[in-house]
Amino acid sequence: MNLTRRDFLIGSAAVAAGTSVSAPFFLPQFHVDRRPRRSRVAILHADHYSQGLDQTLSTGLRLFPLDVRGKGVVLKPNLVDYAPGEAINTHPVLVRAAAESFRRMGAKSVIVAEGPGHQRDTQWVLLQSGYQQSLRDDEIQFIDLNRDLLIRTSLRAGCMRMNDLWLPRTVLATDFLVSMPKIKTHHWAGVTLSMKNMFGIVPGMRYGWPKNILHWRGIQESILDLCATVPIQFVIADGIVAMEGNGPLNGTPRALGKIVLADDAVAADATCARLMGFNPGQVEHIRQGSQFLGNAAPALIDQVGETVVSPATPFHLLPEFRRLQTT
Amino acid sequence: MLTPLRLVLTASRFGTTSPIVTTDLIVFSHLLAELALRQLPCGGWATRASSSQAAIEPTCYSALVLDSAPMSHAGRAQEFLLRSQNPNGSWPAFAGDDQDGAWVTSLALISLADQPAAVSARLKGFEWLMNSAGQESNWFWNWKFRTADRQVRFDPDKFGWPWFPGTVSWVVPTAFALLALNQRSCSCNRLEGFPSRVQLGVEMLLDRACPDGGWNAGNSVVYGSGMAPHPDDTATALLVLSDRRQHPVVKSSIRYLEHVAPTLTAPWSLAWTILALAAYGRQINSLRRSLVAIPDLLTIADTSTLALVCLALDHQRTLSALGVMS
Repeated sequence: MNLTRRDFLIGSAAVAAGTSVSAPFFLPQFHVDRRPRRSRVAILHADHYSQGLDQTLSTGLRLFPLDVRGKGVVLKPNLVDYAPGEAINTHPVLVRAAAESFRRMGAKSVIVAEGPGHQRDTQWVLLQSGYQQSLRDDEIQFIDLNRDLLIRTSLRAGCMRMNDLWLPRTVLATDFLVSMPKIKTHHWAGVTLSMKNMFGIVPGMRYGWPKNILHWRGIQESILDLCATVPIQFVIADGIVAMEGNGPLNGTPRALGKIVLADDAVAADATCARLMGFNPGQVEHIRQGSQFLGNAAPALIDQVGETVVSPATPFHLLPEFRRLQTT
Repeated sequence: MLTPLRLVLTASRFGTTSPIVTTDLIVFSHLLAELALRQLPCGGWATRASSSQAAIEPTCYSALVLDSAPMSHAGRAQEFLLRSQNPNGSWPAFAGDDQDGAWVTSLALISLADQPAAVSARLKGFEWLMNSAGQESNWFWNWKFRTADRQVRFDPDKFGWPWFPGTVSWVVPTAFALLALNQRSCSCNRLEGFPSRVQLGVEMLLDRACPDGGWNAGNSVVYGSGMAPHPDDTATALLVLSDRRQHPVVKSSIRYLEHVAPTLTAPWSLAWTILALAAYGRQINSLRRSLVAIPDLLTIADTSTLALVCLALDHQRTLSALGVMS
């Protein structure tokens, strides 16, 4: 019997709904081991957000044995808030290029979905950040994950010490979830990459703006539980202009000139961390994620495209996270 | 059936027959009709037009908009709200949600004001609200925020209400809670500590304002950097503080909102801004024109936004329903 991603996630949600009336119990940590035997990461060079990105991305995606024909694809960018001139959000030109690429690859549908963490007015963020026009021009549907239909979903890693979370149907029902983070430092998590980007699927209408429950349950723990519960199929990370310092909102834009593609979120984030000049083993959710979600060790990653070169000057970090720069 | 009847009902509300008002009235009537169409058989409204999961926030806004309609829309909404109340007096975020209670309890209390059938439900709701507080009200967390977690600038002694039990206070749920508590009926006056709790909530809002005025979710300064305000959060907080017009924080926040208002093209933020500036007696005609000129209002997927646009177009009655003196 073929068990699709959609069957698996909806089934899990149904089981969770059934067990929610029973006595609470906590799943053992890491009871799922989803590490692939090997992971693949591609680093692409891109200096600007231009129409040429479409071609760059298409070429990069061909480095992976992807088959999205007939599948529903959800692109999950990092769209947290807006400030003029800041590198806060995944650039809409990259999201548009990704949508076009997956359409050309035969996807049944491509949806952009996000639940901004700080802003209740999602449309304001879409308008200010240039998404609204871009999505309209290409007739790409957007789903506000803060206000989607919610399904009680059992958490699969037990890190948050909660049985379940209410999560949006759009991400649970999709065949192919693509995390599209902005490569940034983060004042609570150290870095915010493809795994931390999953905070955006937690619905504000249930948990508020910001999604404070995730902070109280532990940021690293919440990242792990979300990634264990809603698997990321692919990563397209926007590091053309990244952010350093007091991210995710008040940092400084930093030109990195890279797009990182990966079929494994842990491998993607470990690679992004190295490109930022950090030791991924010092990032707690990457370190723990490498024990059950994916691969962080270079020996287990097939590197294609450009090679990983740490910058001469690592990304600036707040003092609390200087340890990330240690080997 | 709804549209022509509402036209007649609302004509007196809008007060004049100028071309602008007439345009507003037509748009308003169409929006009301669309809102009525989206009501679910259970009496509630879903967050999105395509969803069947009734949620409390869009239901409360819609019930406020439709509450004087001769049809049964608001009545069915109020019945839905009464059925949805949790045993502990709170309201869930949506039908089928856990029964711990959520921030929308305040909105439900406002929507059920003046409903004789809701007196005891409201009393239970107010009691839950009075017992709900941000985690910084707990001595341990208060101490921790004072001594260790000092990256975000705020005074943990000044606490308000959280979005969700077990988390800290934030601006919007605090503002909604204060709006609800300010509407308490005589039967709720026995609530202990009411005046001091309201005062504390107001102080919390003033404490969390951004350095140059306005509010965001509630983080004004993080790691020494001032954070930017948001129009909708600012407007919501200002609605609560309309009796403190001379306070420096209020004055700078109104300046911020007046500055940003003409640039707003998102209906949610524009609608909240209209309500807040109307509460402070500011000129809102051009903003109303901007609001009704937004293309495709009828196809807004988010029902809360659709209802809020109606509330802004009917701002005088909305402010009255919220207990805000303009």
